[in-house]
Amino acid sequence: MSGPNEDKNTQLSSHFFGDLLDSIIVDVASECHRIAKLGLDRNLEEEEEEMRLSVQARARVADPSNSSETNTKYVVDIFGQTHPSIATEIFECMNCGRSIAAGRFAPHLEKCMGKGRKARLK
Amino acid sequence: MCARNSIYTNPKPCKHLADYKLRHGFNTYDSIRNCLKTTPNGRTRVAKHTTKIPRCSFCDRYQGRLYFCLMCSSLWCPSHILLHTQSEKGHEVAIDMDRSELYCCLCCDQVYDPDFDKVVVCNQVKDLPGGSKSKTNSFEASGERSSKRKRLDSGIGLDLKKSELLVSMRDRRAKSCYPLGLRGLNNLGSTCFMNSVLQALLHAPPLRNYFLNDRHNSVQCRKRSGEKLCLLCDIDAISSAMFCGDRTPYTPAHFLYSWWQHSSNLASYEEQDAHEFFISVLDGIHEKESKIRNSGKDDGDCQCIAHRAFSGLLRSDVTCISCGFTSTTYDPCVDISLNMDTSNLSSSNANKPIKPDEKTSVSTLSGCLNLFTRAERLGSDQKLHCQNCQELRDSSKQLSIRRLPLVLCLHIKRVEHSLVRKISRKINQYMQFPFSLDMTPYLSSSIVRSKFGNRIFTFEYDNSNSSAAYEIFAVIAHSGMLESGHYVTYLRLKNQWYKCDDAWISEVDEGIVRASQCYMLFYVQKLLYNKANEDSSFVRISPRRDPFESTAGCS
Repeated sequence: MSGPNEDKNTQLSSHFFGDLLDSIIVDVASECHRIAKLGLDRNLEEEEEEMRLSVQARARVADPSNSSETNTKYVVDIFGQTHPSIATEIFECMNCGRSIAAGRFAPHLEKCMGKGRKARLK
Repeated sequence: MCARNSIYTNPKPCKHLADYKLRHGFNTYDSIRNCLKTTPNGRTRVAKHTTKIPRCSFCDRYQGRLYFCLMCSSLWCPSHILLHTQSEKGHEVAIDMDRSELYCCLCCDQVYDPDFDKVVVCNQVKDLPGGSKSKTNSFEASGERSSKRKRLDSGIGLDLKKSELLVSMRDRRAKSCYPLGLRGLNNLGSTCFMNSVLQALLHAPPLRNYFLNDRHNSVQCRKRSGEKLCLLCDIDAISSAMFCGDRTPYTPAHFLYSWWQHSSNLASYEEQDAHEFFISVLDGIHEKESKIRNSGKDDGDCQCIAHRAFSGLLRSDVTCISCGFTSTTYDPCVDISLNMDTSNLSSSNANKPIKPDEKTSVSTLSGCLNLFTRAERLGSDQKLHCQNCQELRDSSKQLSIRRLPLVLCLHIKRVEHSLVRKISRKINQYMQFPFSLDMTPYLSSSIVRSKFGNRIFTFEYDNSNSSAAYEIFAVIAHSGMLESGHYVTYLRLKNQWYKCDDAWISEVDEGIVRASQCYMLFYVQKLLYNKANEDSSFVRISPRRDPFESTAGCS
């Protein structure tokens, strides 16, 4: 199927494509040149540093040999306190006056105020 | 070195350009002044020959880049321009016809001159329809707005200095003391979304100072409005509790009760979206304030603490593709929701572990912000009416930030809706974010300037860079699935990071924060951040309460 015309067309297409590509490359180079000379990208170094720190941080976290974050819920907090997984502080509900444990306040309040899915009358 | 002005560096001209200008003075760019033509997309070209095809004077080539000699207006291709310079003395400076950039033939480099850029900009203003108007939108006098802003800034700054209620307490053991305001919040039953946002809000410098300065007096508030419901009173109560020195976890039950009364549509016992809650709280604060002041002011000028802290202004430019006419609108905002800048959203890629040798492109905050401010071509089903063309045309839309807020809240949209499968999925992809953020590239002045080729020209409303520098102070991170996840807040107090996981407060290394899956990022203007760090030693004293003596928990 290939003949002299085929070759010429392929050549022409490559030539045009090459021209277009050159034009785009020079365009981008010119634009970046201006940005660099005018100092519009002066934060580049700081940005790269931030990026490097993030990469470093991720590597450390991913490393299984690192102790990383222990599940703080079973450990003493920085003030020297421990807490149960469901808050046990008792107080009075401001809607109905009942004594409720803090950790169960939201589900109680939902029914108490007549809000939410479970409380809705069908 | 180079003369530096606040926006950009004025590059020193090369010897040849300098000589050229000396020789020709004011007439330097006269030869091309009338040959410039700006296209609708903001690109300026040299178009002297409207009838003939421009060709290289040596090889007759017309394809590719051509240079226009400033001295004799002859045209040359890159291969032969040097020949011209060598044969003709004084013909050293030329212009890239395609991009209107100066080129020094002897240095073989692109060179810059503010006077030349001025000529280009004048042509741009002349050529684009709505002519001086669409460009003058950029030149808008900021007089009124900036003076308002100055009042705002000094208003909040003055709060700290002149308030007689504050006493500086220098604890002898200051180094080992944990910062004031650090206190856990009890989870009331799937309320980590609420706790995480409250931690961030209470430590936002403007809000923290507002409450510490007793700007919202609950007693007066109740007397005045007679209503029992006031979100500000409740937040004030939480703030007092957080800063009083007691370190046992606080139960924000009353706040939950008030909030459910305010946002009854969100009142249910289930895990909710932190961002939705954030917007709802700001809305509640604003509503109450506007009732008190009885003002119908729009969000842009509102003086309630929520808006004073978080309100910014977005600019939207819609440009007609055919003629370049741009219509500009402004909208206030309290935060910016960003789509993630990644094209690899297929589930097969999302959970792949990172191989150390693989250079995968990571999603970054700057990438998301670039996406947000990118010129977007609107689909042909969204043609808009162009005032200049007087008919429906294809257009492109571009967003930018006209005015930055004191506290910048960035919300990362991590939900992906699949229209095909009709389900929503959470995007777990990691996104890199900096601790120090410069918002200059996303300002309207920068975006508009860049659209017209980054010319050296001072727009009237160029903001000074100092107000675009931000420091991060809180990160709300989400882990888990869409329906059943968990929120924690990382707080940065005096350059130490703390993890606030409901009732549990712990110290963490900054690396943990950097590596976390961020959902909401809270940045504050650098000046405020530095001030806040200095003032952490202040203790609240109010006439209603006794001054307390020491903070519990110090070792």
